[in-house]
Amino acid sequence: MSSESIDIGLPKATEPASLAPILGKVARVVFRVLVVCFCLTPFLLVIAISLGEKIEGAAWVWGFEFTHYERFFAGADWPNSYSGIYLQKLWYSLYYALIAAPIAVVTAFPFTYFLTRLTRRAQTVWLIFLLSSLSLSEVFIVMGWDVLLSNRSGLPMVLRELGITDWMKATGWFDVAREWGLASPRDLKFKTSLFATVLTMSYLVWPYAVILLYPALSRLDNSTVEAARTMGAGPWAVMRTVILPTVRIPLIGTTLLLFVFLLGVYVSVTVFADPSQHTLAVSIYGSVRGSTLNAPFGAAQSVILLITAGLFLVLSQILVSYAEKRR
Amino acid sequence: MALTNRTVTRRSVLKGSAGVAGLAASSSLLGTPLLAQERTLKIGSYGGYFEDSFKSFIYPGFTEATGITIESVTQPNSADWLVTMQQAASAGTVPADLSLYARETMIKASRIGGLLAPLDLSGAGNTANLDPYFLFTDTTGILGVGAMSWFTSMVVNPDVVEVPDTWAAFWDTEIYEQSLGLSVLFNSNLLDIIAATFFDGPSTFDTNEGVEAMIAKAAELKPNVALWWSAESQMEQAMKNTDVIGGMYFHDVAGLMAADGFPIASVFPKEGNPIGYGSWCLSAQSEKSAEALEFINYSSDAATQAAMSLNIGTAPLVSQELAGLSDEVFASVSGSPVIQPNYEAYLDNETFIKETWEKMLAEG
Repeated sequence: MSSESIDIGLPKATEPASLAPILGKVARVVFRVLVVCFCLTPFLLVIAISLGEKIEGAAWVWGFEFTHYERFFAGADWPNSYSGIYLQKLWYSLYYALIAAPIAVVTAFPFTYFLTRLTRRAQTVWLIFLLSSLSLSEVFIVMGWDVLLSNRSGLPMVLRELGITDWMKATGWFDVAREWGLASPRDLKFKTSLFATVLTMSYLVWPYAVILLYPALSRLDNSTVEAARTMGAGPWAVMRTVILPTVRIPLIGTTLLLFVFLLGVYVSVTVFADPSQHTLAVSIYGSVRGSTLNAPFGAAQSVILLITAGLFLVLSQILVSYAEKRR
Repeated sequence: MALTNRTVTRRSVLKGSAGVAGLAASSSLLGTPLLAQERTLKIGSYGGYFEDSFKSFIYPGFTEATGITIESVTQPNSADWLVTMQQAASAGTVPADLSLYARETMIKASRIGGLLAPLDLSGAGNTANLDPYFLFTDTTGILGVGAMSWFTSMVVNPDVVEVPDTWAAFWDTEIYEQSLGLSVLFNSNLLDIIAATFFDGPSTFDTNEGVEAMIAKAAELKPNVALWWSAESQMEQAMKNTDVIGGMYFHDVAGLMAADGFPIASVFPKEGNPIGYGSWCLSAQSEKSAEALEFINYSSDAATQAAMSLNIGTAPLVSQELAGLSDEVFASVSGSPVIQPNYEAYLDNETFIKETWEKMLAEG
């Protein structure tokens, strides 16, 4: 939003001519102050806290030291010993987001494409349904999947009742599942697992993917598709050479947005991921709100997560513009 | 820190009806016209079922006995509350005169300094009923007086496995592979259990080598853990859904779940179960120390301790005889032997213990 748009909003006609520029200036100053207060200050505060000093056994005080960044990269015991557990957590933040965001976009794309071919009325009903599903919080979605994957009333029960669990036990596949950590000595289990974590995360952002792709796909010019078909292109060739190139920018944009959104997911990971595969978001919460009251270390981790997300956005921007130039 | 993440939903439903009735009965007392000089006290307690029970079963009797009106304040849990109290202290406000602190948080508050006011217990004779362990003293004086205690106990699904008599049974992968629910927090007392079961008890925490040895022992449990829970409700659901068949959980809630027909047995194995307790602490900014002492005195009374055990499910801080509890009621809230967690070690060496613990969990 630019400051000019605020100028336009002022009731010029009724004001004396000399007052308008002053009001414009005031509005611009107010706008800038608001930007600083609400956008920059929280960031600066987080950076300032990340330099604070942790008092062992108590809380923390303001300070100026880089120990928390050092701990992030080398562990608390550095230089006596090295530990990369926080880098590992950062990797898992990226890992889940890198898997779940494309899955959501790839599955939402055909759905949205066919959605835009429906009647106006059907489209409206679907969109309202999807928009209202956004009001479900992550907690509710995780609770739902928790029940759907639970031993007594979820997927393991279904597999048990269908006799698949017994069949797996008889054929030796059950032992394979146990080796993969997907079974106890008695039953199959899907919590905690990579499967459950990625499933929930994709599910969580799926409505966003549809809503973000919808405008681009609904504006798609049908005559280009028809032209290609008339010239003998099969449906797959049309998809590959006409539709996908037309919507590649919204596709990339949607994937990136979901990727950044998924970097901060907390509940799905705490509930469905093994602690050996926990993300930075979980560790940040544990530092700030956990019993150690180590807000500086939590803030340092947040700053690094923020920089990483920024780097990915810049990198993708460079890649996109490079690809555009080559065309 | 047993009560930090308690979101007791089922119990609130169970006791909800009783609570409403209690409130209705007490409203007449709360509504009594008071003397010209109205005395009030703001008391914080963990929100939800816990706070509701205090409002229904404990505060009305106190108001009746002393004429002091209580304003109940919701605390999220004791660690978060400490952050609130810190901010309030620098702003000069008093969110609550008295609040509940878990022992670890209380020690932390004492080390931060300036948050809690020392208590002069000369006017609170009932506190003599309590075991001295429940009176926390630092260099400034007595900072906390025990309010109630609870146990984290060994639980199993008796329909699936035989009830063990030792914590060591959980290391048996033949039985418990991918089957246990344990707390993911480094200070959830699993280390105290390991110290009591396999090492030299609390003194094992004295050296970093001791800590590493205990955490290595905990690492051996990893193939058997299906759920590393962070919120109490996760473990409750996992036991109900039979996603796990054993682990660590709160003794009193386990008893209530069993009474509801769920397959759960709460056991006191031969090594014992870790005890946790909450203390009443007075805010340093509070001007209500006289009223606060009267409440502490009331809370330490054997009859009040018994009322808490009967209505809230906490273990009394006075003896069973003094509280006059039947064997059945006492067994539902307490037991023996008792493992006393090494709170000081968790604080003195918190960064090392937390990170060693996290490293253990992070290894694939």
